[in-house]
Amino acid sequence: MRIIKYSDALREALREEMTKDENVILIGEEVGQGYRGCFGVSTGLYEEFGPDRIIDTPISENSIMGLGIGAALMGMKPIVEIMFSDFVAVCFDGVLNQVSKIKFMSGDQFNLNFVLRLPGGVGNGTGPHHSQCLESIFMSIPGLDIAVPSNAYDAKGLLKTSINHGNPVVFFEHKKLYKTEGNIPEKEYAIPFGRGIVVRKGKDLTIVAISYMVKIAEEVADEMKESLGVEIEIIDPRTLVPLDIEIIGDSVKKTSRLLVLEEGNERSGVAAEISYRVNEKFSDYLDYPIKRIGSKNSPIPMTPKLEKAIIPNKDSVISEIRKYFEI
Amino acid sequence: MKISKEKLLELFEKMVLIRQFERKVYEFATTGVVRGSVHLCIGEEAAAAGTVMSMGKDDYLLPTHRGHGQGLAGGTESKRLLAEIIGRESGLCKGRVGSMHFFDKENNNLGAQGILGAQFPIALGVGKAIRNKKMRSCVLCFFGDGTSNQGTFYESLNIAALWDLPIFFVCVNNLYGMGTHYSRTSKVNISKKAELFGISTKVVDGNNIEDVYLNSLELIDYVKKNSKPALIECKTYRWMGHSAFESRPYRTKEEIARWKESDPIKNFKVRLLDNKITKEEIEERENKVNEIIAEAAEFALKSDYPEFDDSIIQ
Repeated sequence: MRIIKYSDALREALREEMTKDENVILIGEEVGQGYRGCFGVSTGLYEEFGPDRIIDTPISENSIMGLGIGAALMGMKPIVEIMFSDFVAVCFDGVLNQVSKIKFMSGDQFNLNFVLRLPGGVGNGTGPHHSQCLESIFMSIPGLDIAVPSNAYDAKGLLKTSINHGNPVVFFEHKKLYKTEGNIPEKEYAIPFGRGIVVRKGKDLTIVAISYMVKIAEEVADEMKESLGVEIEIIDPRTLVPLDIEIIGDSVKKTSRLLVLEEGNERSGVAAEISYRVNEKFSDYLDYPIKRIGSKNSPIPMTPKLEKAIIPNKDSVISEIRKYFEI
Repeated sequence: MKISKEKLLELFEKMVLIRQFERKVYEFATTGVVRGSVHLCIGEEAAAAGTVMSMGKDDYLLPTHRGHGQGLAGGTESKRLLAEIIGRESGLCKGRVGSMHFFDKENNNLGAQGILGAQFPIALGVGKAIRNKKMRSCVLCFFGDGTSNQGTFYESLNIAALWDLPIFFVCVNNLYGMGTHYSRTSKVNISKKAELFGISTKVVDGNNIEDVYLNSLELIDYVKKNSKPALIECKTYRWMGHSAFESRPYRTKEEIARWKESDPIKNFKVRLLDNKITKEEIEERENKVNEIIAEAAEFALKSDYPEFDDSIIQ
């Protein structure tokens, strides 16, 4: 085992798959030269794999997406990096009308390997155009699988699976996670889609959290255990499509209370979808209606007090849990 | 360069095939066999056949929403395209998507486009893959005059030129984007737009198949030899409405009649006869096409609609 950063883990996944298969290419702004990876993920790969594999593009998101789609149609395994997930709006046609639909539209003639990497989430004061968590928008589009790794180990393992997935994957990274560290085995590994994990065990309340909100859930669980003796179980589904509904069901059967926590906008969010799915299958086991927490429905402010008021944090989550579940 | 007699007849046959195919689709559309809308390319047969038939077998094709002719010229079977257009399971894409969205992997057709302008960035990816794989191929990226106003066009011209990508941009300039004349949508001609990026361009009489074919051969050869993009603008005219049922009053009857005078098929036939090709040889090709279309129609109509099963749920 080694302790490495989330961003380094992603780079390891890229390097391993690029070494194995010359069809694997990385496309994006500043991924090779210049910044050498805006968040340092691809630093050094240009020197190793050269300009045909680590492809720096002009500021042309539509072309970045199209480069990936066209290369995938030609049997390659492109990884498309959109520098900030917010910018994906510029090339949303490629997501909504093209890559997600090609398998269906072609009558299964094409099964694409295609990864869209989207760094999202609030940094510190990154404001309305560089902070959003957009998972729910993608989750509503048929034809896309979605990964939301919350730690370095999952980031590497899920990216390796995504690159060879045979179906387009939207891969959400979180800016606040890049520098977080985790244990990574020396040996190569991959993590299958559709398998969540129990991040920590507990008996009183289940929190399903995704991406950076897993860290917040852990802080919440630590504090509530210490101050109130409440034992919280945390589930990280790791992929949203497909969703491991059973692992959530198993937890709810034990705790009878469920909170779903995300950083994206609360309205029509990931949490709303997960809540419905749990309700549909496991409502008999619930003592309380399901609670969801996401960001308040507002553009993300830059100024610190407003930003803090919008995005879920440890204190706001604890306060809502105590009020709602009468703890 | 002189076009061989056999090639002349092939070009003729393909244009007739496209026209008869489109007439059959029109018949199906007006009798309720086709669902949704279809965009016909009657009048534009030379632009489709002349460009696509200069492709090599390792070249790729990205057709437009008005793409039946481009697909057929690229070798797509009439019967499977027709079955697709009327939503039958024997269609190219299992009948799922119809006229505007057909893919035909076997014939290197990477998907027709319902979203105007989406083909340009995809062509970049195809071109980049061709370069990475060190293939001696190119991709034909079709678009209409109206679509040259999409931002994706300019991005793609820039990157194709910057990276020397083997993309053959084919503009079928039929003067109208839906009901709007090109002069109301753009300040400069399409070829000028490409020239700004240092891309080789040719403007041809899109109703003259020899002109289209010979210039396409030359440009495709240039694209593949040098791995550089090129653009051809085929000036032609759409006889039918934007979609099959449309008859909006944005063009005068006189204008349509005038353009029908430069019918790419009728006029080519006259030139063929001047070229010592006999009436019988021409009729033989016409009869062959009639048979193909009749068989295609029978095949398509006899095919079943696909049944729902869970495999399409994603």
